Amino acid sequence: MKKKLLLLFFFSLVSFSVPEKKWAAESLQVAIDSAKEGAVLTLADHTYKGNIVITKKIEIIGSAHTVIQGDGNGNVISIKAPHVKLSHLTVTHSSMNRNSAEEYAGIKIYSNGNTIDHITISDCFHGIYLSQAHHNTISFNNINGMGNGEIAAQGNGLHVYYANNNTLTHNRIEGTRDGMFFEYANHNSIIANTISGTRYGLHYMYSDANDFEKNVFTMNMGGAAVMNSNSIRMKNNQFVFNYGNRSFGLLLLQANHINIEDNLFYLNERGLYIDQSTGNIIRHNRIIQNQIGIELWASSSQQLFTLNRISENTIPAVTLGGKGTDNSWSLHGKGNDWGSTFPLPDLNQNGIGDFPITYRSSLHQLMEGQELTPLFLKSPAIKIYEKINALLQKEDIMFTDPHPLVTGKGNSIPALFLVCTALFAAVILLKGRQWLCIIFGKNGRNR
Amino acid sequence: MHYIWKEWKESIRGKGLWLSLSIIILISVSILFSSSVLSFDKGFYVLLINLFDTLIYFIPISCIFIGAFSIFQEKEQKTLIMLLTKKDSYPGFLFKKSLALSSVVLFPIVAWFFIYLFLLKFYFQIDFSSYSIFVVSIVCLALIFLQLGVALGSICRSRMQMTGSAICIWFYFFFLHDFVLLSILPDVTYDNVKWFSVAFFLNPLQAIRMFLETGMGVYSFGHMSRLLQSFLWVKPGFFLAGNLIAWLAISFLTAIFFHRKEAFE
Repeated sequence: MKKKLLLLFFFSLVSFSVPEKKWAAESLQVAIDSAKEGAVLTLADHTYKGNIVITKKIEIIGSAHTVIQGDGNGNVISIKAPHVKLSHLTVTHSSMNRNSAEEYAGIKIYSNGNTIDHITISDCFHGIYLSQAHHNTISFNNINGMGNGEIAAQGNGLHVYYANNNTLTHNRIEGTRDGMFFEYANHNSIIANTISGTRYGLHYMYSDANDFEKNVFTMNMGGAAVMNSNSIRMKNNQFVFNYGNRSFGLLLLQANHINIEDNLFYLNERGLYIDQSTGNIIRHNRIIQNQIGIELWASSSQQLFTLNRISENTIPAVTLGGKGTDNSWSLHGKGNDWGSTFPLPDLNQNGIGDFPITYRSSLHQLMEGQELTPLFLKSPAIKIYEKINALLQKEDIMFTDPHPLVTGKGNSIPALFLVCTALFAAVILLKGRQWLCIIFGKNGRNR
Repeated sequence: MHYIWKEWKESIRGKGLWLSLSIIILISVSILFSSSVLSFDKGFYVLLINLFDTLIYFIPISCIFIGAFSIFQEKEQKTLIMLLTKKDSYPGFLFKKSLALSSVVLFPIVAWFFIYLFLLKFYFQIDFSSYSIFVVSIVCLALIFLQLGVALGSICRSRMQMTGSAICIWFYFFFLHDFVLLSILPDVTYDNVKWFSVAFFLNPLQAIRMFLETGMGVYSFGHMSRLLQSFLWVKPGFFLAGNLIAWLAISFLTAIFFHRKEAFE
């Protein structure tokens, strides 16, 4: 009797579970197709099989465990109608084929005015792809790539191609090829996105007049690479710990008239890397504890640096490839705050140093000619190398700030050294002239 | 085992170990407080890198002094002669002494970083594998410089000589080694970069830093040129292992061949 019951239970389990999955797989596309224009579809905690094509205005709302799983042969969700809303879904398993005519994505949008929010995307070539799609809102999505520095086998978190006037906000992207990729995309707002573990957090080409605000680029090979573009505003972003032999916080390459304001560049190999660019304004940023604060190539001209705090970098700023033209380190009598790098008197207390500062360095010769130089930037030997070259007069002027700011703020590292030195001094005073011997030998016995 | 016990009793009565440990604790705690404003998920890595960069100013010099004075004390108190006449040869004594010294110094350091992990949990998302790599780096740093200190203690005859030599060794690894490499850097080409690489990673500070930063995944070597690929011809872990073995062997052999049993006040 028990065996029969067990057999009955097993068959009922099989007959109930398998068809339900099948129903889920087939019914989502059917449900979308049969829904009325503007309908709201609420999905259960099932795994729905893709791929799905949406060709009418519809709203799809999932819940915590709603998964739409692609068949690995295309886009998991293609949106071809305007004003579609997707939210609270997990999207997975698009095609990873790189030889096809089309690049596939978890969600590919071909239309305007759509809203995509609270979607988790993994195991897809691109995360969300905006293809000639305008006025869309992409927010609070979580896009996970393969990580481990994989570049060729995967695409980008957010891929924006010929797409204008979109709002990308509060998305979290990790481990994709590039975090956000822009090509021929203008007038977009990119706000409060967090990108880490990618090649370039932002890879940006041939796109103008976009706004980047409050985004965080951490632990990427390069924070943000802005190339061949004009008139971008970058405000309140954080470029933190983009660290490697060729890494940078923000790269401007053939990027003109960019307004870079109130950003934080912290612990990058290079804070700002500017090459072949013209007319950029770098104002009121904090460029702190990078290996190289600003790397400015001579092909760049008319760069304006004012009101920035540039301190505790191994090299505050370096000019490579010759002398740049018309670069300016102050505006209206206000230069930059160089912190403890250049201690300055301010006898009239007007917040401006009493004399200009000129930074000379010999490292530029090494950096131009030898790509292994960055490996030594953390070494204390760099300081000795610079001092000796200063004695041998092998230095060149890197920059002159005619009106350096004096804020009088201290920093934590000297304070720490002060505490440790005080501790040592106290031990020496307490233990007398043979402190070293007593401490490290003689079992601590006084003689 | 009785070497470890003897070393432990001597160390807890002395102040060198406690002073060094208190500096490590002070630095770790201050950096923790100054890093508490960093982000929950990535701040952990920033903290560990900053902590390592600060600790390399203290751990090498402390370990050289602890190692050197520990051996010198044996000479000074004539316990070395007693131990050698009893049953041990000098290499045997040196091996056991080094083992005891390493255990006694490393145990409190590792214990502190275990406690420190609990403090970190309040501020950051912990990555245990990265933390293990950090602890291994600190242990390697201490080991190498302790053993160099042991060699110094074996060779030197007076405290003054030993203190001067300890500072010289520290200065060499901290400044001189990299300075020499920086001076020859313009002549490095694809043909000789492997030799340059060997010289670069012979500096324990560079080998350990590279191991730590690449092991934690914060230092990226993506899109390497041929020169850079040739420079990094094995994984940083192997460079560190090579460095560790080389310096432990060199220190040990130097201590055996050039040791002096007597000490002058």
